[in-house]
Amino acid sequence: MTDAIATGSSPPADAAPRRSRSLYAQAIRELLTYWSARLGLAWIFLVVTAGVFSPFIASSHPIVWNYKGHWESPMLHNITQVDVVLVVLYFAVIVLALLRHVSLLVRLAIYVGILFMVIQLAYLLVRPPMNIDYSRYWQAEHAGDAQSVVRTIIPYSPSDRMLYATEFTQNLRPSRQFLLGTTENGEDVLSRMLHACRIASAIGFISTGISLVIGVIVGAFMGYFAGWLDLIGMRLIEMFEAIPTLILLITLVAIYGRSLYMIMIIIGLTGWTGKARFVRAEFLRLRNQDFVYAAQALGLPLWSVLFRHMLPNGLTPLLISVSFGVASAILSESTLSFLGLGPVDSPSWGQMLDQARGVGTSFHWWMAVFPGVAIFMTVFAYNMVGEALRDALDPKLLKRE
Amino acid sequence: MLSYVIRRILLVFPTLLGITVIVYFMIALAPGGIGANLLSSEGTMRPEERKAMQEYLNKRYALDKPVTVRYFHWLNRISPVGFTDKAEGKSAFGFKAPDFGESFIRRRPVGDLIRESLPITLLLNILSMPLIYALSILVGIRAAARRGGAFDKASSTLFLALWSFPVILAGTLAIGFLTNEKYVHWFPANGLHDILSDNMPFLPHHGANGWERGWLFDTAWHLVLPVLCLSYGSFAVLSKLSRGAILDNILADYARTARAKGVSEKAVLYRHVLRNSLLPLITVAAGILPELIGGAVIVETIFGLPGMGRLGVDAVRQKDLDLVLAVTIMGTLLGLVGNLIADIGYALADPRVSYD
Repeated sequence: MTDAIATGSSPPADAAPRRSRSLYAQAIRELLTYWSARLGLAWIFLVVTAGVFSPFIASSHPIVWNYKGHWESPMLHNITQVDVVLVVLYFAVIVLALLRHVSLLVRLAIYVGILFMVIQLAYLLVRPPMNIDYSRYWQAEHAGDAQSVVRTIIPYSPSDRMLYATEFTQNLRPSRQFLLGTTENGEDVLSRMLHACRIASAIGFISTGISLVIGVIVGAFMGYFAGWLDLIGMRLIEMFEAIPTLILLITLVAIYGRSLYMIMIIIGLTGWTGKARFVRAEFLRLRNQDFVYAAQALGLPLWSVLFRHMLPNGLTPLLISVSFGVASAILSESTLSFLGLGPVDSPSWGQMLDQARGVGTSFHWWMAVFPGVAIFMTVFAYNMVGEALRDALDPKLLKRE
Repeated sequence: MLSYVIRRILLVFPTLLGITVIVYFMIALAPGGIGANLLSSEGTMRPEERKAMQEYLNKRYALDKPVTVRYFHWLNRISPVGFTDKAEGKSAFGFKAPDFGESFIRRRPVGDLIRESLPITLLLNILSMPLIYALSILVGIRAAARRGGAFDKASSTLFLALWSFPVILAGTLAIGFLTNEKYVHWFPANGLHDILSDNMPFLPHHGANGWERGWLFDTAWHLVLPVLCLSYGSFAVLSKLSRGAILDNILADYARTARAKGVSEKAVLYRHVLRNSLLPLITVAAGILPELIGGAVIVETIFGLPGMGRLGVDAVRQKDLDLVLAVTIMGTLLGLVGNLIADIGYALADPRVSYD
């Protein structure tokens, strides 16, 4: 609301920042003054970008080639629905972030609209071939059927075992041809790592989103109604916190299966307690304030009082727990994959780390160091952003302005 | 005080009961439920075998009853207090041996498997806990005493980095580089004992072949890497915390009073400030224990220690349901006991805690 008023009579853009900024905008500005947050956000941006564009960066399919006189693009031909959805959403986020005049809620609504439309359209229009034959390109080139082949920067798909190659490609050390080496199945490590960015980011965001929704709803009801509902809720939270997370995770994965979406839900289900605690404390503080009484007196429905009037007042500090939550979700996913219980059939950093120890005492250091450092850097980046956010939002430390 | 401790202990039982509900129903609500995996092999059986199997499972897990009945059936089976079947078809209420069921893969009672593996997990935790506390308090004091110094300034980021460092990476690197003949072979790679450890005398000694390490040293040598891997994450958290706690206290009025009275800086730090700073550290112990037990799962799997965490992972991989349930409940019980000890410790350490 303040946004709308402020933009209605906005002074010139180069005017000095005023104190009337919302806590949210203030926190973001404050956040960017920390170098650790900047570095962390830059790394997160890199990982997300690599995840979204991985099929265009690392693919065995040539971008374009001239096959028997026809110009074709095997890469576009083999693109999947998920690739299309992710690329569109990526640009939608950037465009919507630039639309400063529109309020956050409207932007969110537009985003969700785009999301549904893109998913519908992608599954209607995009039909990737069922069987992918990587050896076809190699054979075509050697038979002289294909001319002017333009390949991606890393010309290997993550699941391309290069069975067509003249030499074995299993367990190769980093070299000119394979910058970060190859796996025991003969796949390129760098390509797999780039594609794994997608799983890591997706699991991080979606499972944190799930835990956020559960935590906010449970916490809001507990804090708003207080009394016995609060008492029962707190006992429930204590119970969930007493179960060691990793043991709960592996148990649930064992029983509900290892599909990617199931793992997202399971990680989300184990991470909501902290957020619920936080929202509860915030709502307990807010429930006796005048604006809440006013909203109640107006006869607004419960959801409106809770989520339109009270929640925005306690939302900003939740960003801290979201940032730490993404870090721990990524860590959970890589740990599950490392234990051999991760998502099936998709490249993941944890799974590669697991493969570093081969038969007997053989140890393929490149399979441990590169994916492992990727996990570390990503987790560290999210934690640094969370830490900087905590400092930025700490009223004791708000010394600027 | 005593009544607080008793009340705190009594509170464990409803919590544990609630956890059994959560765990059981999460599993029972899965597609196919408890029975799905158990009956999955029946296609390969002869009809009479299959019927016998079904009857046995129905009796054992009450699979023909609704899920709530099944839950109470299971709860009665694993609880040390409950109904037992007498020979004449009557049942009696009283103490009994908890029956965790039988591992379908290993063909052994789950209780025995847990009894063998639990001490190893406990050993790892008991070794890590004092190590973490001692080191982190030392580091915290050092950082706080020289606040503003280079070490203090870097410490915040360093601790965060250490905390973010995945155990799976640390373990894999340690195994790959420190236990490998190709690099350095400083530590044994696998297990808790050497193959020949049964023939070793207990203590290190000088024998016919010069110095021999003995059983105790051999075990300790095997435990170095696992304990280090298990501890460093919690160490980072606690160091950060103890630095903050000491900083909060080092400028407090009572510390200033002590200094004004001429007490040396060292005595102020160790006799006055440290005691008050320990309180938040005791509270965190409650949160660290479940984390350590979770961490033990990873560490035991990487280093091949036959502990409960590894048992759980194996059980999950083999879909050995009774074992999975038992490990989950036991892990939770450990966490609850840790919580309990932390709460009681806090009450002992801080006389200001009220016990109403």
